[in-house]
Amino acid sequence: MFRLIGRHFKEAFQGIFRHFSSSLNSITAVTVTLLLVSLLTLIIGNVSQITKTLEDEVKIFVKIEDEVEDAEIPALTRKVENVEGVSMVEFSDKDSELDKFIKEYGEEGKLFEIYREDNPLSRAFIVSLREGYSISDVASRLEKVKGLTGVEFGGVSTEQFLKVLNGVRQGGYVIVLALTLVAIFLIQNTINQTIFNRRLEISIMRQVGASNSYIRQPFVIEGIFIGLMGSVAPVLATIFGYKYIYETVGGQLVSGMLTLQPVYPFAFYVSAFLVVVGIVVGLIGSFLSVNKHLRWRR
Amino acid sequence: MVNLQNVSKSYKNGVNALNDITIEIKDGEFVYVIGETGSGKSTFIKLLDGEEIPTKGRVEVNGVNVGKLRFSKVPLYRRNIGVVFQDYRLIESKTVFENIAFALEVINKPRREIRQRVREVLEIIDLVDKAKSFPSELSGGQQQRVTIGRAIANNPRLLIADEPTGNLDPERSNEIVELLEKINEAGTTVIMVTHDINLVNKYRKRTIKFEYGHVVSDSREGGYVAHV
Ligand SMILES: Nc1ncnc2c1ncn2[C@@H]1O[C@H](COP(=O)(O)OP(=O)(O)O)[C@@H](O)[C@H]1O
Ligand SMILES: [Mg+2]
Repeated sequence: MFRLIGRHFKEAFQGIFRHFSSSLNSITAVTVTLLLVSLLTLIIGNVSQITKTLEDEVKIFVKIEDEVEDAEIPALTRKVENVEGVSMVEFSDKDSELDKFIKEYGEEGKLFEIYREDNPLSRAFIVSLREGYSISDVASRLEKVKGLTGVEFGGVSTEQFLKVLNGVRQGGYVIVLALTLVAIFLIQNTINQTIFNRRLEISIMRQVGASNSYIRQPFVIEGIFIGLMGSVAPVLATIFGYKYIYETVGGQLVSGMLTLQPVYPFAFYVSAFLVVVGIVVGLIGSFLSVNKHLRWRR
Repeated sequence: MVNLQNVSKSYKNGVNALNDITIEIKDGEFVYVIGETGSGKSTFIKLLDGEEIPTKGRVEVNGVNVGKLRFSKVPLYRRNIGVVFQDYRLIESKTVFENIAFALEVINKPRREIRQRVREVLEIIDLVDKAKSFPSELSGGQQQRVTIGRAIANNPRLLIADEPTGNLDPERSNEIVELLEKINEAGTTVIMVTHDINLVNKYRKRTIKFEYGHVVSDSREGGYVAHV
């Protein structure tokens, strides 16, 4: 068994060295691809983090109509909780609304204490959103709930920013996928060349009855090896590059409003992801080209 | 051993390579298959080794219904038949010994068994003294003997040779047929496709003649029979 695996490894490495320039091309292609994948993954990871932070901060403030009796509040709370996109509802009575109001105005705010007796402010719900829901969509749904009036939220700018971030994230996924497919295609080309170089051996092996998996193995090993070699530079670049950037900006953007993912474990997760992508790309690339050639012409 | 029942084969391009062929070859026979280029001889061989499936009819070898064999079962099936082609298909970077051993290595035979069997095979093909030579150092006839050696390495019950003497002069051709006879006498069924009427007449054996994908004669007495 070990002898067998040894044989296949020997053949795989012979394959790589016999047409070194093609292997080198493939390794380079995988390297470039994975560098881009790394960059995008780093961006996606941070964008996700920032999005989450922003989304957590975004709350919708809804005033309750004065006609609603206090006794009806629990029922209304449940109604609001059931609105699509709502994750949490917090009730705030007139007193606490006044407290907030006073606090906002600092020292001068104390003047408003006179309204404590005959409070003109409305009771309100502070509504948190479920992940992935658009603020304005949820706000307009809340507006339709009977008993509620005056919906307010962080404003269009936050929402637009979140939309941009989401666009970046989704665009990133698409590009990562496209790049992966390109790498698979390039590895296929190299393996095709190995297969061409070894077509005589392959035809003999088929003729004498070597199993398909036996014939396939050295090529698959070669593909995986190319994927692994291609991921070395991107992994180093990811760890040291991200560390450098993180330290340069001090882990924060926009003067502390947005925090970046910490180097550990984030850069290491991304690195592991790159290695996995490299291996999978090599595996799929070699599998596809070998299977295409080994398909029994029957 | 080999049993074809009303077999037809048309390729995807519409060529009808074989039309309603019925052939039975018994265990231990030595059979020539002759016919002009394009008469369907190689197609007949591809049906036997599982490379192609019949469009109609049934191909049975060694009790196996070859046409119905699943892709994944073809390799295992092929271990029981040896095939030799006109071009020798030897690996230039391997010695004679290694070329023969290769056929056994790739089906996972133990190393010791391989060494022993390759020595036996070298005796049979009479190339013991060339074991360490490379194919480029051999004559055409010797190279063809190596490919025959490789084909019989796994002790197949059926040996098929597609124009094995196509590139050889008459003397070397005689050697090849005599080698095939020797293998046949040891119990292996042999099917030899050939163009060479002289051989067919000299070493008389059952001869099946193909024309335009039909069997036009099947003579037990052997020798070439002209058809009007
Ligand atoms: N793979 C193939 N695809 C299409 N046509 C083929 C194929 N192989 C053989 N043929 C055709 O089938 C006919 C029989 O060919 P073949 O069996 O090779 O004859 P032979 O070996 O007697 O010369 C020929 O007309 C040939 O062109
Ligand atoms: Mg032919």
